[in-house]
Amino acid sequence: MTTPTVTVRPPPWRNVRVLSWVFQLVVFAVVAVVFLWLYGNYEENVARTGIPTNFDFLDNPTSFEIPGNDFSQTQPVRDVLVEGFLNTLRVSVVGIVLATILGTLIGIGRLSRNWVVRRISTVYVEVVRNVPLLIILTFIFLGVVLQALPTIQEAWTPGGVAVLSNRGIGVPWYEGGSGFQLLLLAVIGLVGWWAIARWRRGVSGRTGEPSRAGLYGGGFFLAVTIGGWFAFGFGVTTPVVAGRQIAGGMRIDPSYFALLVALVVYTASHIAEIVRGSIQAVPRGQEEAARALALSPSQRMWNVVLPQAMRIAIPPLGNQYLNLIKNSSLGAGFAYFELTNVTRVTVGNGSPAVPAFTLALAIYVGLSLLTSVLVNIANRRFILVER
Amino acid sequence: MRQPGFRWVTLLLAVVLVLAACTGDDDAVDTTAGSETTAVGDTTAAPVGGPAGESLATVVANDVVRCGTRDALPGFAVLTPEGDHEGFDSDFCRVIAAAVLGDATKVEHIDLETADRFTALQAGQIDVLVRNTTWTAQRDGAEGATFLATTFYDGQGMMVASDSGFASVADMDGVIVCVATGTTTEGNASAEAARLGLDWEVRPFDDVELIQAAFIAGQCDGWSSDVSQLTGLRSVYPDGPEALTILPEVFSKEPLGPAVRDGDTQWAQVVNWAILATIQAEEFGITSANVDDMLTSEDVRIQQFLGQEVEGEEGTAVLDPGLGLPTDFAYQVVSQVGNYGEIFERHLAPLGLERGLNELWLNGGLLYSPPYR
Repeated sequence: MTTPTVTVRPPPWRNVRVLSWVFQLVVFAVVAVVFLWLYGNYEENVARTGIPTNFDFLDNPTSFEIPGNDFSQTQPVRDVLVEGFLNTLRVSVVGIVLATILGTLIGIGRLSRNWVVRRISTVYVEVVRNVPLLIILTFIFLGVVLQALPTIQEAWTPGGVAVLSNRGIGVPWYEGGSGFQLLLLAVIGLVGWWAIARWRRGVSGRTGEPSRAGLYGGGFFLAVTIGGWFAFGFGVTTPVVAGRQIAGGMRIDPSYFALLVALVVYTASHIAEIVRGSIQAVPRGQEEAARALALSPSQRMWNVVLPQAMRIAIPPLGNQYLNLIKNSSLGAGFAYFELTNVTRVTVGNGSPAVPAFTLALAIYVGLSLLTSVLVNIANRRFILVER
Repeated sequence: MRQPGFRWVTLLLAVVLVLAACTGDDDAVDTTAGSETTAVGDTTAAPVGGPAGESLATVVANDVVRCGTRDALPGFAVLTPEGDHEGFDSDFCRVIAAAVLGDATKVEHIDLETADRFTALQAGQIDVLVRNTTWTAQRDGAEGATFLATTFYDGQGMMVASDSGFASVADMDGVIVCVATGTTTEGNASAEAARLGLDWEVRPFDDVELIQAAFIAGQCDGWSSDVSQLTGLRSVYPDGPEALTILPEVFSKEPLGPAVRDGDTQWAQVVNWAILATIQAEEFGITSANVDDMLTSEDVRIQQFLGQEVEGEEGTAVLDPGLGLPTDFAYQVVSQVGNYGEIFERHLAPLGLERGLNELWLNGGLLYSPPYR
């Protein structure tokens, strides 16, 4: 006769803790073996075909040039990669700023009481969000940049201050002085603005008179920039058509323009949804309280609801920023020299593919992680402090 | 307090397990890598350590030649509405199949983007690359490719709109030149501009459709590529070929030929001799039409070349040079595909291309096959 015995521990093959550890071990071992196998294959194939796997190619001459740039083809590959990285940065930073502005406006528009605005915003979001970015980019490049813009011979020069053609868009730009002087003016102006705004808010807090921080600070900023403009001898250069090119001013590359517009249009549709969702996530009581204080509709939106909505929006916005940075690689097919394109062209001109793309991969990872860090910092800064 | 101890034990176990797995792998990798590095480093000894015959064995086992090609270059390789490939390069894929497998139809044409072609070759996705590829030192070296007998001697040129007023490359200052991505054309164009002291903006696009769209819209003044490609592209230009002019200057050497993976000498020789057979056949005057008559030619060299038994010191024998090819490979190539001249006439002459450098050495060109004996 058997009586149920109370065992202190189950046998190992039935011990949940042992089993879970064994399982994790197996997973770890499988992953490790797969990676080692892949790497082994890579090593073997590389050795068999004699392809270099080091990064010596970075010192080779590039043997190609980048449009709109005084880059020389005798410079080493490492310089061209840096240039490609900067171009990725140029389109990403501007794209992020513009997409955020456009996306926020459309997101608010989706909740507008104005029927037309609301419908237009909805149609925009639903159409653009559901089309692949590559299609949008191809459409903008072939349809807008190449077809809608005139040829250089028939370039459109509104008011003589800009040039629009399918070889680029020329806009007025500063000349004379140096970039450092410009930076100096901007820093002095902005720091002054910040200090004055702080002082005005203090005054306002003590006395109750309107702070007018924007007026005073902005005025200071304008005074500094205008004063510095003449003091340093800056001038304005306007673009003109010279032969088959645009001379003077600043030329916006047509491929850059197409890529920027496509990225902004596409990302804004996603940002709009995030903004709309975040606004709707702000408790209704906030709006009602603002209404009870007799704030105007725009004050309620911009001073009460939106600041709280943005707190909710920051983490998903960060995702969209990361997507935008990575999506900028689509410019590679359209003659924009961002990082992916530069890597491909340098591979086509003799650099080994695997190390070159490994480098590009590492740069993208680095850039994305940096963006994440910045978004996290912003998130921590704006997170709701519970009181 | 049992928990931490238990963890350490399992961790130790994991490390041991993985190490065991690694060491097995590592040994295998090290030995193969080691022996092959020496083989690669010392190219004269390549056949010893390299995986000789690997590609040939693969091709024979698959009973098909996987040929890296493209789908939209008129004259060289075009995907037909029937789903087949047609053109000069595609025919050389068939030449290889006819030589190795005795059947010119046993070709799998694999369309590749320009930027991916060497990766596909390195990865073993294709057996041979016949895709308008220029033979350069860096590609021979760094891309792990071995280039074989040149099938077409080309050079980079410049195409402009006929009404543009450009008569020579030297006229083109301050212009935009459009090219295809991932090729030597960007570098060549930049170098030519620098040499002539001209200001060119070189814009690379992913495919010819985009270049054509940009060219038609007036974003590009010049369209630079190999003259053979320009001729082909001009022949299908929407406004008709006369709307475009190819300028007389040629500013680079572009020998186009098949490439195989480094380290497989036998396969390289097989592909090489399949190509050379078309040149030798033209030199002998053997065409697809008369090849059967030529079997009974009085010229012993022709009989030998076509794999016929000839009188030797030890009775009659078929010449087997030991390339790994069937002895009648030349017959198969010529009867099923044709000689070099026929292939050229079939695909490139209709585009308006002259033989030029691609004429037999006897006629002042560069085509020259080593003797088949």
